[in-house]
Amino acid sequence: MTVSNDLGGMEEGGFDLDTATAEAGRCLLCEDPPCSKGCPAKTDPGAFIRKLRFRNITGAIRTVKENNILGGACGVLCPTARLCEKDCNAKWVDRPIRIGKVQRFLMEHAWATGFKVFGGKVFEKPARRPGKVAVVGAGPAGLSCAAELAKHGHRVTVFEARPEPGGVLRYGVPAFRFETAFLKKELEDLKDLGVELKCSSPVAEKGAAERLLADGYDAVFLATGLWNPERLPGTRKEPGGLFTSMDFLAALRQGRRKELAKSFKGKACAVLGGGSVAIDCARVALRLGSRDVYLLYRRSCSQMPAEEDEKNQALREGVHFILLSQPVGYVADARGRLAGVRLVRTRLGAEDSSGRRKPVELKGSEWTLEVSAAVEAIGYKPVDGSQDWYPSVAVRQGGLIRADEDDCRTSAKGIFAGGDIIRGPDLVVRAVQDGKTAAGSILQYLGEKATTRPGERCLARKP
Amino acid sequence: MTKKTDLSVTFCGKKMPNPFMLSSSPVSNSAEMIERAFEAGWGGVAYKSMVTDNISIPHPSPRMHAYHYGEKRLAGLQNVEQTSDRGLKPNLLDIAYLKKRWPGRVIMASIMGFSNSEWADLAKACSDAGADMLELNFSCPHMTVEGSGCKVGQAHDLVEKFTATVRKVTGIPLVAKMTPNIADMNEPALAAKRGGADAISAINTVKGISEIGLDDLIPRPDVFGKGAISGYSGPAVKPIALRFMAEMAQNPELGLPLSGMGGIETWVDALEFILAGATTVQVTTGVIHYGYRIVEDMIEGLSDYMALRGVEAVGDLVGKALPRLHETGAFDVKRQGVAAYDLDRCVGCGQCYIVCRDAGGQALDWDAKKRRPRQTQDKCLSCMICSFVCPVTGLISFKEMPRGWKRRETVTLGR
Repeated sequence: MTVSNDLGGMEEGGFDLDTATAEAGRCLLCEDPPCSKGCPAKTDPGAFIRKLRFRNITGAIRTVKENNILGGACGVLCPTARLCEKDCNAKWVDRPIRIGKVQRFLMEHAWATGFKVFGGKVFEKPARRPGKVAVVGAGPAGLSCAAELAKHGHRVTVFEARPEPGGVLRYGVPAFRFETAFLKKELEDLKDLGVELKCSSPVAEKGAAERLLADGYDAVFLATGLWNPERLPGTRKEPGGLFTSMDFLAALRQGRRKELAKSFKGKACAVLGGGSVAIDCARVALRLGSRDVYLLYRRSCSQMPAEEDEKNQALREGVHFILLSQPVGYVADARGRLAGVRLVRTRLGAEDSSGRRKPVELKGSEWTLEVSAAVEAIGYKPVDGSQDWYPSVAVRQGGLIRADEDDCRTSAKGIFAGGDIIRGPDLVVRAVQDGKTAAGSILQYLGEKATTRPGERCLARKP
Repeated sequence: MTKKTDLSVTFCGKKMPNPFMLSSSPVSNSAEMIERAFEAGWGGVAYKSMVTDNISIPHPSPRMHAYHYGEKRLAGLQNVEQTSDRGLKPNLLDIAYLKKRWPGRVIMASIMGFSNSEWADLAKACSDAGADMLELNFSCPHMTVEGSGCKVGQAHDLVEKFTATVRKVTGIPLVAKMTPNIADMNEPALAAKRGGADAISAINTVKGISEIGLDDLIPRPDVFGKGAISGYSGPAVKPIALRFMAEMAQNPELGLPLSGMGGIETWVDALEFILAGATTVQVTTGVIHYGYRIVEDMIEGLSDYMALRGVEAVGDLVGKALPRLHETGAFDVKRQGVAAYDLDRCVGCGQCYIVCRDAGGQALDWDAKKRRPRQTQDKCLSCMICSFVCPVTGLISFKEMPRGWKRRETVTLGR
């Protein structure tokens, strides 16, 4: 199969009104819909599909957007097959309803028709409330929290270290899966809600989070994400042509395609890792014109964390999977350019703590795969020293912030946290839910704080 | 080889290879079109209504509007189509041509006059052109001139008068086409019989409004800012058409052969009309939706039905359901039944539970864990609505209960 070399826009098309209506027409309109129980962000497809079916399209859009400010992004990026669509009863008749795609359509339809959930004649602006909240990080968790608080009338400022908002949606996913124009439209709802967005404004100095509180913010939500790539251990000198997935994907978004193409076009390359990011990188490498793209993974195909459809798509497009092979180092040429990846064959041994059978290296099986470029996509972790930005907040070993996903509270009063910085690498939709959970806790905290403000009398009690 | 079934019928003394006809409409507008329909297999045609050249009847634009049901297109069709705009002479030449080229097919010329003399002139002209029979259009629902279209069909004395006028000038069979926009079709049908009609065709379109624009508040079709109540047809009107068909077929006083139409798309629809008393059936909206080709499936479907059931002639099926059609008072209400569930095939959607609770007898509970309905049998009203919404055909069926079985009384609150 030939792949597009256009890396600028989403390759998978969406529904239009006809096809979305037809898809909604297949819905069984279940009692106690199972789809509505499958979403980490508590999306209610049972309601929005029914609304679409009964020609209440504005209501359907509202159902999605009021619950999830990034409804469009989730519609495009969610692994729906194992979430909302998993228990769809239409699969017993034919196949599950394509819920993610219907959700994406509703958002695109809103943009096409100019319908605004948080603006125009159908929206009643919330009464201004006194709270002032700082959100650190304009990724899915931060944006979701900001929207939720703004919906309640609080003033929210989002501080983003990078020049543009979106976090992984902008810098961590290739545009052929999720394009910038789509993100921009989605972010307009935040503008309608009056969220203030400060880009190129990192909160990354010692005690910076606590300083926000001191500067008059009533609460802080830390949603900084994971921006430090895990590296293959033992690499002393970086050969030219070796990239981390983070640099690789971000470079594309920053218009450095030509520069990358130099390392990939017409050449053999390797991607290390078996997750969704590794698949994305491999597919980008194909689109940059790589002659051969090898995906190197130390376990078996069924153990790969990437989604089934992603794996299949990569295989169909021509990515070569080299499984049960542990990368152990790199070979460089005389000029210091990458010449190969050293690999050791593995076999699956006993189960490890994750319940998966652990790869065991086979002695004497080392070989070298000749490639002139490679991308490491083996995970992300917190930025080194990031705990210094919020010294009053307890962190776990490795730097993840200690916070319960049920309330997103940290050990520090007034500081909340969510998204990948508390979970490790996870789905966009879970980060969205963290944002909502944190907003709930912050609202509660602001309420508590308001009633205990010094010098103020509590009106609820008789004197 | 597949057995070849003889589908021929004789209608008003004319034999045709099958009972399937195009009805008088845009689908039968010219010989060029009708010839293609004959090639596809249609047994006859009601040639689009002709008027004299005394007045010209221009067509509004646009002419039609669709009624879609969800993603299902054309559940109904509204039209403000007028009579043929080709002029009388070209149509008569076309009829003569068709009769010569296709002698085995039935050409029924539809005519509509505005006075006695016009009816007479048209009848004579079409007879001379070689039409096998005439269809008298007493039923077009969007004529505004008094004494024309369905305004005739609603005034029984005019039906009789104009039929008699035509009867005097031609010996070929006369088929009077009825409007459904009345309470009792037997009255105008009997008037036509008194005037000398040989058969009745029905139904013409039902007066309706298919849609109202929400932005412009214009009922459709939007003819430059104006809508109008006009003829509505298609699958949505079939049950209404079957009713009129059966009522006329059951009337011993009428006793005329019938040509049935209204929402026919498949051989099943056609056969239902035949079982309700029609000798031939006519189709327009089905062709507007799918083209002439649908007749292939009508022919094949009806042939196989007859072969499988050992029916020798289509005529043997005409009116065969009528002995089983009664007034509701004739029902044996001592016999009762319930909806029976084959839960092995259940997909767990729970729509049965929703409708039973909100529109039935509250006979179902919902096992949320297993996602299955649980029936309390003696609360089931046997309305069968659960079976209508169930996505698995045949999962829910009607089952008769033994004599003496009793349904539980409905709970009374506030006693």
